[in-house]
This record gives sequence, C-alpha cells and structure tokens, in this order.
Amino acid sequence: MLPLLVSVALFLVWPIVEAIRLSFVRYNPLRPDDQPFVWFDNYLFVLEDPLFWESFRQALVWTGISTLAQAVIGVGLALLLHQPLRGINAFRGLLLFPYIVPTVVIALNWRWLFNAEIGIVNHLLLSAGIISERVAWLSTPDMAMASAILLNVWKYTPFVVIVVLARLQTIPTELYDAAKVDGAGAIRRFRDITLPQLAEVLAVVVVFRTIWTFNKFEEIYLLTRGGPGTSTYNLALYAFDQAMANLRMGVGAASGVIMLGLLLAGSLLYIRLTGFGREDRAA
Amino acid sequence: MSRWAAALIYAVLGAVTFVVCFPLLWAISTSLKPKDEIFRWPPTLIPETITFESYRELLFGGAVASAPGAGVPPSAYFMDWFVNSVIVSVGSTAISITVATLAAYSLTRFRFRGQRAVPYVAILGYMIPSVIFVFPMFLTMVALDLPDTLLSLILGYVCITLPFCLWLMWAFFRGVPIEIEEAALVDGATRLQVFRQIVLPVALPGIIAASIFSLIVSWNDYLFGRVFMNSMDKLPLTVGVMHFFDGTHVDWGLMMASSVLMTLPMAILFGFMQRHLVAGFGAGAVKG
Repeated sequence: MLPLLVSVALFLVWPIVEAIRLSFVRYNPLRPDDQPFVWFDNYLFVLEDPLFWESFRQALVWTGISTLAQAVIGVGLALLLHQPLRGINAFRGLLLFPYIVPTVVIALNWRWLFNAEIGIVNHLLLSAGIISERVAWLSTPDMAMASAILLNVWKYTPFVVIVVLARLQTIPTELYDAAKVDGAGAIRRFRDITLPQLAEVLAVVVVFRTIWTFNKFEEIYLLTRGGPGTSTYNLALYAFDQAMANLRMGVGAASGVIMLGLLLAGSLLYIRLTGFGREDRAA
Repeated sequence: MSRWAAALIYAVLGAVTFVVCFPLLWAISTSLKPKDEIFRWPPTLIPETITFESYRELLFGGAVASAPGAGVPPSAYFMDWFVNSVIVSVGSTAISITVATLAAYSLTRFRFRGQRAVPYVAILGYMIPSVIFVFPMFLTMVALDLPDTLLSLILGYVCITLPFCLWLMWAFFRGVPIEIEEAALVDGATRLQVFRQIVLPVALPGIIAASIFSLIVSWNDYLFGRVFMNSMDKLPLTVGVMHFFDGTHVDWGLMMASSVLMTLPMAILFGFMQRHLVAGFGAGAVKG
C-alpha cells in the first residue's frame, strides 16, 4: 500500500513543489545546468511588468462577465428544465453536449463562425439588419474579448445547469404546496422558497466557476492567441508566454505561484461558504 | 401549467438547443462543401454540392505520396495524430483509474498517518490549473529523458486526471458499507478476493463515471501536447490540427472535417454513457 500512496503523492505534490522551487531560480531551458537562486527577483519582475497588470485586469473582466452570464443563464435554464414537461429529458441531455466538445474544436468553429469576411454570424446579423457592416470579431480588442467570453459561456453554462438542477430536485414539494395554500404567487414562491434553497449551491458554483474561469488558458489562447496585441491576455496566457516564448521558466513559475495564491484564497472562501471539511458534512 | 406557458418554455428551450447545436451543424455543413462553395458569399446554409473530399484527405492523406520537394502537408499526419490521441487517452485513463481505485479503497478501509489529508490534497490538485504545473512537469520529463514521447504525455495526463478520479472514487467507497466485506473476511476470504468479488462490482458505476471524465479530459487537452511534444508524427490530435493554420491560406473544409472527426469519439461515448455522466456530475467529478 505504501508504494501506491507514494506514487499518488508524487503525482499530486511533486509538480507543485517543483513549480515553487522554479519560481525562486533563474532557469533558461537552453542552459539547464545553470540555475542560480535569485530570491524574489522573478516575483519582482512579474509585479513590475505592465503586461502582468494588463493581463490581471483583463482576467477580471473575462472572469466577471463569464461567471455572471453563466450563473444567470444557468439558473434560468435549470428552472425551465425542472418543469414537468414531456420530452424534457431530451433537452437535459442535449444541453450537456458542449461540455464534451474539445476546446480546440470549439475554438476552430468559433474562428470560422466569427470570420470577418465570410463568417456565418456576420451574414446572419447583416441579413437580419442588426448590423449594417461586417464586424471584425476577432481582430478588434473588445469584440475579441466578447467572442472569447461567448465561447466560455457556451461551453460551461451546462455545468451550472446540472448542479442547480440537481439541487432543485431535492427541494421538498410540500414547501410549494403550503405556499400555494397560503396564496403565494409564482414570483413570491420563487423569491421566498426557490432562491433561499438555491443560495448555498449557487455560492459554491460561482466560486468554482470563478476560480476555473480566472485560470483558463486554452479557451483564449486557441481563439485569439491573446490578441489582437495583448488585449485578451489573462494570467494563464501571461505565464505561458513567459515560459514558452521568452524562455523565462522562473518568471513563468512565479506568475503561476501568484495564480496559485489567488486560487487558495478562493478555495478558503469556498470552505467557509460550505463548511466543507467538517466531519459531519464530509459524507 | 397553462398551455401557453408550456409553449413558451418549449420555444425558449428550442432556441437554446439551436444555439448549442449550431456550431457543430455548421461545421458538418462546411466540411461537406467543395472549396469554392465554402468561400461563396452569401454562404449557403446547406451544401449545394456534397463532397467527401476533406474527409478523404484527412483519412487517407497519409497514404498519398506527395510530390518530391513539395513537403508533407499537415493533413497527411491526421491518422497518426488520431492513433496517438487514442493511445494516450486510454493509457492515462487506465493508469489513473487503477491507481485511484486502489488508493481510494485503502484510504477508506485502512488506518494510517496523514490519511485524512489525502482527499483534501486531491481536491486541491483538481482545482489547480494545468498551466501552473505543465512547465515543471516538462522539465522533469527532460530530466528523465522522456520529452517528445507518448509516455511523457500519458504521465502528464495522469497528473491532471488522477486527483479527480481519486476524489470521486474516495467519495464512492465511503458510501459502500464495510460490513459485507468484514463478514467475507470472517468467512475466510482473502483481502484480494474481497476486493475483486465484492468491492469492484459495487464500485463499477464510480469507475465508469471516473473513466469517462478522464477520457474526455485527456482527449480534449491541448496544453500538455503543445509543451511536451515536438515531432509532427507524435502530436495528439488537438495540437496537430492547429498546424492547419500554418500556411498562408486556411482550408476551412479540412478544418471543419477534423472538428467533426475529433468530436465523434467523444459524442459516441457521450451517447452511450450519458446516464453515468450525469451521475458523475452529481458526485462533483467535473473539471473545467
């Protein structure tokens, strides 16, 4: 049993330990034998780099809008899918589909759908009269960010739907029956029963989605490469760029560790919100 | 519920389903068009002429010898990439599931120091984005003399999938009562017999859910393949198809045909396993 757990520990802990070590050395992969210990130089480099702060601000926009949209649309869809209608299970299954589509595929499709010259989205919007000239979706900063957010919402709203739907199904119907007897209308019932019952699970979902969206790499990189310019960089792209393009492994690792710190803060929030880790809740 | 309310709900759900399905339907439509029709404006929604040219180029392009000196087009490697992706997804899933099942079982059935910390470390590992540990992992692979091998990719994917497989299996085994196993042990069964004949059958739904998630994650990954692999013939599909953008002229038909072919295995798996997938979602086995 011991070797097994050692190997588990190796896979879980080793990469993190190694990332932290790297963040304190200067490491150029072209000279792997020369790794001077540089204290906090890499962290200072990151914190003094304007691109880091630009990436950070853009990450906040990207995360904030994506998460809010996912939560609102997700809860709305979950409420609809909770209705006892014929064929509702088929819809439930279909809505899960985006989750299994590889990010590369979605990014390719998005580049094609939102192609400025011959993309179908421009064609549909033009013929519906919503826009009067072609929109350069992926080559203007705001539109590129909007396209990336749209991709993210498309792919990950199902996550919110599934979790909220599961919680909706456990709300005792007696609560609604009693409220109806007392003469509460649909809006009252939603505000006074459904929302309070959903509050906890919704908080958890929002924390999870915030953490994951904040650190997303592939969704942005494959769609826009961070561009045009650096207008869609987030911290994950920044870290990747430092390590891969600039061969500054130490700087990349340092920005990774900063992301890790932010993530731990988010996780602590999650633990506070749910009481996760208390023995009585663990089962 | 009134008939109008029901109609409204169907209308909204129908619209959402359209938005969900449209990107892939459009990819299928594009992949079946001849090249001149792809570039036509306004675009045709349904192909006027249907051709399987793009699919043929991807599936059999490797067999066609290119003209000397012309260089090999990326599409010639498509089937290599496909096989690579199958090998690394299945390989890493097999390792993750085996290790996770055994480890989770021992975590719930034996006592040892530090035992309570393991699931929490696992859930932390499962929240950490890959971009943080892909470079340390890569440097380790270099030190082990493994970069640019499928094995390095398998080990990389074990790193991403093991934490949530372990977490899921741990949650699963906690729910299985220990009394039956104790009774079997009293009756003289060995630990191994108990594991194979009592524990495994009960754990099967959990194993299936964890396997699906592990397959999806490793099939869909781009980052590890991008950082670890170099040779054209050893890339996974996700990294390979991005090379279709290398030239000056983008072949959207080829691109959309590869999107369809890449999604197909996951869609088939999804169709068969949807029930388990939902069960897994419920148990929190979601990385994304």
